[in-house]
Amino acid sequence: MAPTTQVLLKESSHVRTIILNRPKQLNALSLEMVSRLLELFHAYEEDPNVKLIILKSEGRAFCAGGDVTAVVKDINKGNWKLGAKFFSTEFTLNYLMATYTKPQVSLLRGIVMGGGGGVSVHGRFRVATDNSVFAMPETELGLFPDVGASYYLSRLPGFFGEYVGLTGARLDGAEMLACGLATHFVPLEKLSLLEDALCKANTGDPKIICSIINEFSGTPKLKEKSQYFRLKTINRCFSRRTVEEIISAIEKEASKNMDDWITWTIQSLKKASPTSLKISLRSIREGRLQGVGQCLIREYRMVCTVMRGEFSRDFFEGCRALLLDKDKNPKWEPSKLELVSDHMVDQYFAAKDDEDWEDLKLPPRSNLPSHAIAKL
Amino acid sequence: MESSSSTMDRVNFRTQILTRHLQNHHIPPTDLIHTAPCVNYSPPELSEPLANFDTKSLRKLLDGKSIDVIDHMFNLMIQSNLFCPRERGGKVFVSPDFNQSMEQQREMTMKRIDYLREQGAFDGWFSRKGDDGELWRFALAETVSVFDHSLGIKLGVHFFLWGGAIRFMGTKRHHDKWFKPTETFEVRGIETVTRYDARTEEFIISTPCESAQKYWIGGAANHATHTVVFSQLEINGVNEGVHAFIAQIRDADGNICPNVRIADCGHKIGLNGVDNGRIWFDNLRIPRENLLNSVADVSPDGQYLTAIKDPDQRFAAFLAPLTSGRVTIAASSMNTAKVGLAIAIRYSLSRRAFSIRPNEPEVLLLDYPSHQRRLLPLLAKTYALSFASNYLKMIYVKRTPASIKTVHVVSSALKATENHVGHLKSEYDVQLTFEGDNNVLMQQISKALLAEFLAAKKRNKPVRGLGLEHLNKPAPIIPSQLTSSTLRTTQFQTDIFCLRERDLLHRFVKEVSEHQALGESKEHIFTVTYQLAEDLGRAFSDRLILQTFLDVEATVPAGSLKDVLGLMRSMYTTILIEEDASFLRYGYLSTDNAAVVRKEVMKLCSELRPYALSLVSSLGIPDAFLAPIAFNWVDANSWSSV
Repeated sequence: MAPTTQVLLKESSHVRTIILNRPKQLNALSLEMVSRLLELFHAYEEDPNVKLIILKSEGRAFCAGGDVTAVVKDINKGNWKLGAKFFSTEFTLNYLMATYTKPQVSLLRGIVMGGGGGVSVHGRFRVATDNSVFAMPETELGLFPDVGASYYLSRLPGFFGEYVGLTGARLDGAEMLACGLATHFVPLEKLSLLEDALCKANTGDPKIICSIINEFSGTPKLKEKSQYFRLKTINRCFSRRTVEEIISAIEKEASKNMDDWITWTIQSLKKASPTSLKISLRSIREGRLQGVGQCLIREYRMVCTVMRGEFSRDFFEGCRALLLDKDKNPKWEPSKLELVSDHMVDQYFAAKDDEDWEDLKLPPRSNLPSHAIAKL
Repeated sequence: MESSSSTMDRVNFRTQILTRHLQNHHIPPTDLIHTAPCVNYSPPELSEPLANFDTKSLRKLLDGKSIDVIDHMFNLMIQSNLFCPRERGGKVFVSPDFNQSMEQQREMTMKRIDYLREQGAFDGWFSRKGDDGELWRFALAETVSVFDHSLGIKLGVHFFLWGGAIRFMGTKRHHDKWFKPTETFEVRGIETVTRYDARTEEFIISTPCESAQKYWIGGAANHATHTVVFSQLEINGVNEGVHAFIAQIRDADGNICPNVRIADCGHKIGLNGVDNGRIWFDNLRIPRENLLNSVADVSPDGQYLTAIKDPDQRFAAFLAPLTSGRVTIAASSMNTAKVGLAIAIRYSLSRRAFSIRPNEPEVLLLDYPSHQRRLLPLLAKTYALSFASNYLKMIYVKRTPASIKTVHVVSSALKATENHVGHLKSEYDVQLTFEGDNNVLMQQISKALLAEFLAAKKRNKPVRGLGLEHLNKPAPIIPSQLTSSTLRTTQFQTDIFCLRERDLLHRFVKEVSEHQALGESKEHIFTVTYQLAEDLGRAFSDRLILQTFLDVEATVPAGSLKDVLGLMRSMYTTILIEEDASFLRYGYLSTDNAAVVRKEVMKLCSELRPYALSLVSSLGIPDAFLAPIAFNWVDANSWSSV
């Protein structure tokens, strides 16, 4: 595959710096970008000269997510299988990153959402900073937290993962560090110094890399009203078995003490696509009991069901309302949680009966380091 | 006197040695031991063949509609610090800390129950209706047992024994008063079984002598506030039999009530998360309303009232709560087996030892036939017994007064059989005895079969019930020469199990009647015929379990899943025939055929070998509930993890 201007490269002895370069679209990942990234990661793994990968972006955002508008356009042109190509490439990339034999350091300036999480959180080191904003906002869009999020969200403390995945909550750098989405926090002004130091050290030894990042790191304080301080309430509510029970648990909290955070939480859940909420919850719960490969294979089934639009066209409606027409008023169908049956939800997790369709085939991996083996 | 030539030899020899020393010739060391590269862990997922059947479908056969509640309970336990999450080799495992003192283990058990309650895990325990509600209850209790058996028992005692007694033996006034506080654990229930006297319309419970104290009462030592007391009821000088009463033994602050004495049973070999205690009642007075009166009542002026005239029938009505305990405890021991096997099989799929030929990689443990023999038959038995457990739960849930006896017999059979498969040693001993000593249960089964058989003979009718209908057909004929393919047919497998059951039943009937002819009492006869009774009990259980396995297989359409089930079923039947002495003892097998059976065991093991990983994954136990040795044990044991 030919190089693309959407992905830039810098070589410095044993270090490769990959730069996402679509700043006007907030570095939203196109098919071209994910294909190029997959190609590069494969090549770098084979290349004994490459010891460390740094991932960063041009512009004020790290990555706003997968380019879903492009996917929707493709689907409207032909059929859903065109969209499937994007997701299968992206999820394969996520798997490769999650099981990578060499360390990856991602520098998370600006927003890190959806697919942006997928290309960073699976890597060994994630450096948040003052202006980082993390979110998995898919339920607002009629989709669900994919890119292996059912793996990493479910492994956040308590039931914080359910909270983040269902409400689309925005986390700042300090919160990312507190819950483990980020491994380090480095102030904005020191990020380029960090980059230089990593290139200078020219090593792939994770212990050395970690100690270098530590030198530039700080421990930011959580804001006074940080949602991370609400973990006890979050655990009490978001551990419930169903979306309905989660909502009534929060409403019960609201009746005891109403505040902005509770109001916002309830509103987010009420605004989101009911179908998305149910499949997202089930995805995270199943993901907690599965390895990263199984999570991605399952998510691929789910996203294909979404694209086929047999049970709900919320994904298309969400993209229209939020990304195309931007009226921010999506009309979900089914419109209420009680109209989304268990049987419907089951279909998102089942194999598709289409002769051309098959489960996501992940590349065989061997000689994995122990931290990668642990994720299988 | 040395010859000059031998002297010269010695001199030459000595000179050669000195020359070598001075010239420092390099003599390569004999290569008896050479360094091998460090052992690396390779996960079985990367090297074992992919399942050719759908592991999710197999899980569904095991856990059915309960998968939702089971997986949710796993989710709740994994995400809480109360369940001692620990990182080893990059993965998180949850398991109880058995190094804690007995007191700490008891407290942790209570804390874990409180956490689950706060997360709403037990909400609606009493209000969920119908079969689904019953299965939900069972699934909840069994799943917590995967983490810690003490937790399951503590829960079981509170909800199944105490809660079950209130549900089935109490009436509306008891339900209204006690259901909610039971769900919220405001009352902490235990249940005691006794043959004590309770007197007067106010019911005064007393423990008349030391031998009458309540023993091994789960929850009594520390936490319980209330108990259901089983006691003889004497009204107007007449002993009306065993009844159940609610008695408070601790107040809300945890102080023992007056007229109640409690002693701690103390430290046990296992299950130290359950605080077992002993209880004495010293003329404890309880309100008349505390009699659980669904079956019998006492009026305010002291009249005994009941619709069931026969005291034995009345007593049988009380047994229902105990049976539910037996059902769920039998199933919980299957979970122990599943965890143990998953760990052992996963380990044996990643651990190598010794090469067969030089310069070849060492052999995986599970590639050794002897190791396959250790584990794969147990896996087949676990599947067989799990299917049987599901059957037991269904007949329990759908029970009617007429079918209760069948439920009782089947639960006895399975409980006694399942305990021999679950093998976490420290909990094993109690499994053999609680909810019915296994020997006693086997004898109960034989008595039931005997009664069924004799009753049919007396009425001159075909035998019905307990699956004994095969007795009405002519005796099956076993081919004189068995082959591998015969051994795999359902016809042969059913025939030989039915033949054994049939023959043993006839022998048992004969022996019992011989003793009766000598004028011996029934009780004495049953104590001296225990050997045949056990053989018969086992024959019944094995045949029943085979039948349920076949029933499950029949629900699966032709394909790879059905094939692997058939393979496991053959493994199950063949291993039983190989292991059980009664086949040779009573001549159902010739010694030649026994040799064929033995060879078949090896063959079946090697055929099951490629499915080992998938079969273990289909059990549905999450990685966190297994052990580090089932994963990257190289890393988990590394110095950096100390």
